[in-house]
Amino acid sequence: MNNNQYFFEYLQNSPPIIELVWFMIGVSLLSILILIIYLKYLRTHLRSNEKIRETYQMKYELHLITYLYSGNEEETISPEQQTIIDELKKDLSDSFKRSIVVATLLKLKNEISGELDESIQKLYYQTGLINFSISKLRSRKWYVVAKGVRELTQFHIKEVHDEVITLINHPKNEVRKEMQLYLVNLFSFKGLDFLDVLQTPLSEWDQIQLLEVLQRFDDQQVFDIKPWLKSSNDSVVTFALKLADIYIQFQAKEDLIELLDHKSEKIRIELINVLGNLNIIEAKTILKNHFIERSQQEQIAFFKMMEKMPESDDESFLLEYIHHENFEIKLSALKILKMINSNTFNIQKHKGTEPDFVKIVEYLENN
Amino acid sequence: MEINTISIFLIIRYLFFVYAITTIGSYIVLAIISAVETVAYMKKNSFVNYKEILSSNIAPSISIIAPAYNESLNIIENVRSLLSNHYVNYDVIIVNDGSKDDSLEKLIVAYDLVKVEHLINQQIPTKPLREGIFKSTNPAFEKLIVVDKENGGKADALNTGLNISQNKYVACIDVDCLLLEEALQKMIKPFLESTDTKVIAAGGVIRIANSCIIRDGKLIDVNLPKKMLEKGQILEYIRAFLLGRMAWSRLNGLLVISGAFGMFDKKIAIEVGGYDTKTVGEDMEIIVRMRGFMEEQKEKYKVAYIPDPLCWTEAPDNYKIFISQRNRWTRGTIETLRKHRKIGFNPKYNSMGLLSYPYWLFFERLAPLIEVLGILYFAILVVLGQVRWDYTAAFIIMAYLFTVLFSIVAILSEELTYHQYKKKGIGYNLLKIAFLEPFAIHPFIVYSAVVGNIDYYFNKKKKWGEMTRKGMTNPETI
Repeated sequence: MNNNQYFFEYLQNSPPIIELVWFMIGVSLLSILILIIYLKYLRTHLRSNEKIRETYQMKYELHLITYLYSGNEEETISPEQQTIIDELKKDLSDSFKRSIVVATLLKLKNEISGELDESIQKLYYQTGLINFSISKLRSRKWYVVAKGVRELTQFHIKEVHDEVITLINHPKNEVRKEMQLYLVNLFSFKGLDFLDVLQTPLSEWDQIQLLEVLQRFDDQQVFDIKPWLKSSNDSVVTFALKLADIYIQFQAKEDLIELLDHKSEKIRIELINVLGNLNIIEAKTILKNHFIERSQQEQIAFFKMMEKMPESDDESFLLEYIHHENFEIKLSALKILKMINSNTFNIQKHKGTEPDFVKIVEYLENN
Repeated sequence: MEINTISIFLIIRYLFFVYAITTIGSYIVLAIISAVETVAYMKKNSFVNYKEILSSNIAPSISIIAPAYNESLNIIENVRSLLSNHYVNYDVIIVNDGSKDDSLEKLIVAYDLVKVEHLINQQIPTKPLREGIFKSTNPAFEKLIVVDKENGGKADALNTGLNISQNKYVACIDVDCLLLEEALQKMIKPFLESTDTKVIAAGGVIRIANSCIIRDGKLIDVNLPKKMLEKGQILEYIRAFLLGRMAWSRLNGLLVISGAFGMFDKKIAIEVGGYDTKTVGEDMEIIVRMRGFMEEQKEKYKVAYIPDPLCWTEAPDNYKIFISQRNRWTRGTIETLRKHRKIGFNPKYNSMGLLSYPYWLFFERLAPLIEVLGILYFAILVVLGQVRWDYTAAFIIMAYLFTVLFSIVAILSEELTYHQYKKKGIGYNLLKIAFLEPFAIHPFIVYSAVVGNIDYYFNKKKKWGEMTRKGMTNPETI
């Protein structure tokens, strides 16, 4: 008591700065104490949560397997199945348990197919889990909405299409991405219709994911990419170019060539690659005629394109560039020249002394 | 005269006080920003399906560039680990930087390597090749390229890799680092995700693998090492990566990404001239230069940061190597800040010039020197009998408690996010380190920094220090 009194008197007689320091010491000490207690609680909680999760997961797995194999042939719900549905329904009010049920259902869904897969789907409806997923779409929190869309995608719930499509221009990229994946996963190429009205950019990451989903479908039906090539959204044009490349959309040739004057350099470079892959010879003449006006990256892309479709007519054009200052252009020009006319190559190879030129010639002669 | 002396002493005291308060304030601000950013990152990435990118052959190609110098002891296992990444489109370029041991011979035998003709576009000048370029005849190792060149240092070896890579993105890593299987797709994500800003580089969290169990290039079990020095570094890394860099990433002010693992847009890395071979802090220097370049081009850009623990590395387990490493880090920081001094306080370079650079200068570069000056000043006051010991005690306690508090916040942040140290008892151990670290590690860091300064100004010949590794596959460390 005397010590305390002495300390308070000491503080009162100290300058404000020292009072402040002692105040900060007090705050720090208290914070450290609280954080240590919280840390202890957190670590224990995380460990026990992991154990509880494992226990519930095992319980639900057992329930679900029993459910799957206790069905009757009349396609009605057997008493055993009904008991499981009731038990699951009871647990669903707890969000922690609900998340484990969903995870277990999805895990099983990924491991099985055919009738058993349909049974899981049915269970998703019977337990009312679908309502929880749909209600997430109306949440104010973007990550809850995204999670809801993902669940609906994973359980192939097509009937909420109209509600999901309203998220097309959602301010959060993650929500838009889930919406796009929902459409493509469930409606295949038809799902790409959202590109017609998409105003926000489609990142390369999103594009790769969509293309990966599309490649999973057996039915690689022909679709019309032309409207997307004309889109005012540059990322939609880029995506359409990728589609043209992968699905060899030769019929869009005219529209592709028109894009050679697109305002975006990135699109023009991508386009030149696609034109090369599709072997659209007509583009070569156009590009040759305006070669100098193009950026260096476009010029490099054009030479790569020419490597894919070498013609003897190219010789005079190539001769202009075998001494170009850019290494890649020089390499391509010499490579194509060697391909189309080895005699000219042999004559030209002695006409350069610049180190890169000599190095390239030497390399091409040995390979 | 006496009044003047007293005034000077008072001014010095207030300057120290203001510096301390600003330091504490900046740490608090960074911790808050970091917490906000971490929560946002965790929410955002809970939806990502990395498997789709992982298996996609449309995903962009990446070159992993790993320089190796006298790594014969573990080179085979280290390369195997790099080759076991699950990403589809990537190759591994091992640059044997004039090793004097049998690294190359071992690689040739283990991976069925044969010399190949390879045309190099020498965009960045480097030391010439020694034995040449090798590729494997075994299709299982088709991703592997081994380059044998004359010794030129880490930066020169990385530049050789940049010249050889045919891919759009390069991941520069230390050959002895253990990359997690999802590391490449997580690192490439910010590059592919950004639509309105050019991502020029991305850095990840480096975790300490000492005492962890690693088998066949995979992290099996995470343990806390026994030595105080190693434990202290674990806490230091958690603090730096989860609190510091996360916040700087939010402010788009990252000036460094660890040389142990970073990914770059190759075109820009080459455009700025690659790594600087004249500095020992090449990892920081290249980022500062790339950022400076983008600012000068007036292009919207970002240096991204991934808080996931993607790369595990071996930390020094004795004070001699630890001091040598920190000495090098200090010299690297001084060299970079000096070389790019035109950026500092220059509004032309936006937040980089007005925020990141001054922060690094005052709170990283000068911090240990100011600390030592403080101690010297205190010693003078003691000699002059001008010390109020009760006030001194109060200030020391406050500084100590704040350090401990900051460390505990970092531990909590780790628990709430990645929870890597799950085993019972580790929590208590980490707390113990938080209390002991200011005495057991911090003095050595200050000492290394001071010696680093002396070496920088008076021992110009000093380059990289010694870094003897036991190897993460060595039975002693597992």
